[in-house]
Amino acid sequence: MSYKLPMGPYHPGLEEPYKLEMICEGETISDAKLHIGFNFRGIEHLAETRNYIQLIALMERVCGICSFIHTLTLCQALEKLTALDPPPRALYIRVIMAELERLHSHVLWAGIAAKLMGFKTLFMACFAYREKVMDMLQVISGNRVNYSMNRIGGVNRDIEDANTILNMVNLLEKEIARELVPVFTSSYTARLRCAGIGILTREKALSCGVVGPTARASGIPQDLRRDAPYAAYAELEFEVPVETSGDVRARLLVRAYEILESCKIIRQAIEKLPHGEIARSESKYGFVTGTAISRVEAPRGEVVYIVSWKENSRTPSRVHVRTPTYVNMPAVRWMVQGARVADAPLIQASIDPCYSCTDR
Amino acid sequence: MNAIEELAAELKVNDVSTDASGVKWFTTGNLNLRELVPILRRTGARFVTITATELPLNQGFCLEYLWDLNGQLLGFPFYPSANTIPSIYDLCEAADWIEREIHEEYSIDFSGRAYEPLLLRENEHPGVNLHEVAK
Repeated sequence: MSYKLPMGPYHPGLEEPYKLEMICEGETISDAKLHIGFNFRGIEHLAETRNYIQLIALMERVCGICSFIHTLTLCQALEKLTALDPPPRALYIRVIMAELERLHSHVLWAGIAAKLMGFKTLFMACFAYREKVMDMLQVISGNRVNYSMNRIGGVNRDIEDANTILNMVNLLEKEIARELVPVFTSSYTARLRCAGIGILTREKALSCGVVGPTARASGIPQDLRRDAPYAAYAELEFEVPVETSGDVRARLLVRAYEILESCKIIRQAIEKLPHGEIARSESKYGFVTGTAISRVEAPRGEVVYIVSWKENSRTPSRVHVRTPTYVNMPAVRWMVQGARVADAPLIQASIDPCYSCTDR
Repeated sequence: MNAIEELAAELKVNDVSTDASGVKWFTTGNLNLRELVPILRRTGARFVTITATELPLNQGFCLEYLWDLNGQLLGFPFYPSANTIPSIYDLCEAADWIEREIHEEYSIDFSGRAYEPLLLRENEHPGVNLHEVAK
């Protein structure tokens, strides 16, 4: 006999509110429904009432983890509408900040995954690494969460002591490569809890249009940093890790390898950091009538901003935000089918969901 | 002939323009939305999103369908008649949530599909993002 088992909207296994309504046969999940909207703040509509300065501050608050990425994507769109290209140094600083944010996000996720695996020691270790990344973000921006780094035509703060950041990255990379990555790639506990569960086949991943590490763990080698480069990514060398098994372990491995790739990118960006100004000096911006579309590879996958503006208007006429979790979340339904109820929290967490982003 | 030119030829679209964002926009005058989707999927294009924009002077809406083909964004603008447009959910399941969201935010009907609430709570009605409702 089947029964319904709700998980959420408020549940110890969830970091933010959403609801997974599971239909179970004994301990096995036969199907599931997802309910979102508990964090709906009407941000897209609010954006239509904000000028460009207020708009950047507003969109920084779509997501707490990817706050830099959201303003980066927005500012890239606004730069197309104002025909302002950021100077080269700003492009490299954007890469460094974006990769630090990826490190921060992946390490935070690793901690949460470890907690859900029942690996509490690793959870504590991951949050210790995360502190070090946040220290770096604070050294550069002065802030630990909402960095206020991006502006139209550049960035607000320079990297004054690149060597310190480089030393911190080198140290962190060594620690993560020595302690965290081997646990995820070869530990018995991680393999036992993650291998063969929450499988998303390549065909289903393509059908759902999933993005980011969720897609790459199902054998889809997509990454905007390589496929449609922005900022200074075209001038940097890095690999795009891809796994083919589509299970929770594959998503774990992809993120573990991406942490090392991010360190590699940051090191290159610091070594190549050009001299010069960090932003265009215009104090007022002339918007042309039109729509600009910008995409960035956030830690969870592709973020898309579509911004429409009318000349001489103080506010945008439309801002549409498509976040990665918005397209990855529906795939959770297929991942949990056939899984044990006890694995559901870990499976849904394996896409690294962000409900604030999803609901906006 | 590159992939975009091949696609334009298959769709019989002569006018493909590129905007400042690098998006290739296809004119959709003679295109049937539901015929377009299988062609795009066959070429390996990935559905990205649909952006609904309320046109001024009560002229209705524009729905811009965005697809990604090997890192290149492709745009297909459609103008729903009487706020109704065919759903593509049965052809492309990635469009499910965005169709539901646009229905709830702009009260646009995607014909041929059923809706489940996505963002709305009890006693709320579709159209929460419409300018006239927000005022």
